[in-house]
Amino acid sequence: MWYHKPVVNKELLQSLPNLRIVASSGVGIDHLDLNLLSSFGVKVSNTPFIVSTDTADLGMALMLASSRRLVEGYEMAVSPDTEYFPADWLGAEVSGATLGIVGMGTIGYKVAERAKAFEMKILYHNRSQRKKEEESAVGAVYCKKIDDLLQQSDFVLLAVNLTPQTHKLIGKRELELMKPTATLINISRGLVVDQDALVEALQNKVIKAAALDVTYPEPLPRDHPLLKLKNVIITPHIGSATKKTRRIMMEEMTESIQAGIAGLPIPHEVL
Amino acid sequence: LWWHKPVIDQELLQSLPNLKVIANSGVGMDHLDLKLVASFGVKMANAPRAVCSSTADAGMALLLASARRLVEVHHIAISSSMDYCEADILGVKVSGATLGIIGMGRIGYKIALRAKAFEMKILYHNRTQRKAQEEQAVGATYCEKIDSLLQQADFVMVAVSLTPQTRNLIGKRELELMKPTATLVNISRGAVVDQEALVMALQTGVIWAAALDVTYPEPLPRDHPLLKLKNVIITPHLGIKTDKTTYMITEEAVENILAALNGLPMPSEVL
Repeated sequence: MWYHKPVVNKELLQSLPNLRIVASSGVGIDHLDLNLLSSFGVKVSNTPFIVSTDTADLGMALMLASSRRLVEGYEMAVSPDTEYFPADWLGAEVSGATLGIVGMGTIGYKVAERAKAFEMKILYHNRSQRKKEEESAVGAVYCKKIDDLLQQSDFVLLAVNLTPQTHKLIGKRELELMKPTATLINISRGLVVDQDALVEALQNKVIKAAALDVTYPEPLPRDHPLLKLKNVIITPHIGSATKKTRRIMMEEMTESIQAGIAGLPIPHEVL
Repeated sequence: LWWHKPVIDQELLQSLPNLKVIANSGVGMDHLDLKLVASFGVKMANAPRAVCSSTADAGMALLLASARRLVEVHHIAISSSMDYCEADILGVKVSGATLGIIGMGRIGYKIALRAKAFEMKILYHNRTQRKAQEEQAVGATYCEKIDSLLQQADFVMVAVSLTPQTRNLIGKRELELMKPTATLVNISRGAVVDQEALVMALQTGVIWAAALDVTYPEPLPRDHPLLKLKNVIITPHLGIKTDKTTYMITEEAVENILAALNGLPMPSEVL
């Protein structure tokens, strides 16, 4: 399945008595009711690791585009009204700034590896602390309490998966703990952020900016305030959207499907 | 001297008989007639250390934005119609791709450090080869002939200074040597690229795309073809435009000015 379609509910499963496997594209499986599928004896697979690099790349792309005002700059460079480039037009520096990674899984760690090369100071919050060697390799400091990360970061990047525990992980309280000069980058799931609280925080300059590859819903209604805010970049969930990666995802899904139909062990099975 | 103003010509120098030193805000000195200034006994300084990180960051920001079609998809994400085909907005995978850096000075090297963290294969062309340890630290391979770099690179990053030797360095011949799937990223000076040849190359698919922080002139005339091409990102010469770098440039300038006025060796004198 691609982009959460078709919706896998009881009706669909009842109408497909011979269904053996649902192969989902990407790593997130928050759109699937695993208990329901299991009760119908249907197996589930995803494409977990192949998406990590592109998603980490996109996280970095969003952070750089936001801080250096790339979209705004492009619009100025091509606008028919532009006569000169103003001398006092400045962005914020990424090199040497503090990046707080919320969710240090495969994707979060790849972001850390990239950010280290930008001489960034890296903080991270995770269900569990990573091994010392893993921390030292990227110079990352564990923040057991998310508050510590939020208060010190210039950029807060969300790379958790969506679970009942991470639903609305970033709400009014968390946004208020962030620096007023900080930027929120979301490459996880829209529902990890309390979107209404985010709109307010951006409108009232509680935080400086946001760059979102994910929202809830996707796409947002066309009159949604997030679409109009000048300090927001939105991309249409393109974390894994490169030709190479999509090709490999297709191959992995096909492998899983073939194994599922043949009754063999399924690569990338989600249990 | 900020943003090339005031223009330093014979008239100005004659009207300022007590002028001892000109400190330039940035590293490029192509807008100054070095011989003329020296003939008046005026010393000159630039700010090479202050600008490297932010310019390297801008280079990476442009590379990533171009590869992942950030500007294009942001506009799709916020547009009043949501008609787009997911398969049409696939980008190019950055991690693991080949980056060719033309000009491996301070800025080029900082780019190599960043690109390495994206697992990119790095080739470079420079007036001279770097030391073995410097090459190893970033996994960079020297291409004595620029042709070799152009033929292999997925992304060509231009980071040279503008001199009589580098004017029109990238022309029709060089563009044709590049892969049709390659992207040109220019963070050096507009005049390093033969702009007309670039427009042709982009229009006829000789290269895939371009991302330009610099053009000639700046800004371009509003009817210039580069402004209309879908496969071009242009930014308003924002390479050094961050709060932090502006501060560091000012510090470096003041150091140089004080040294010159006190008859001491200048940290970044340009001869």
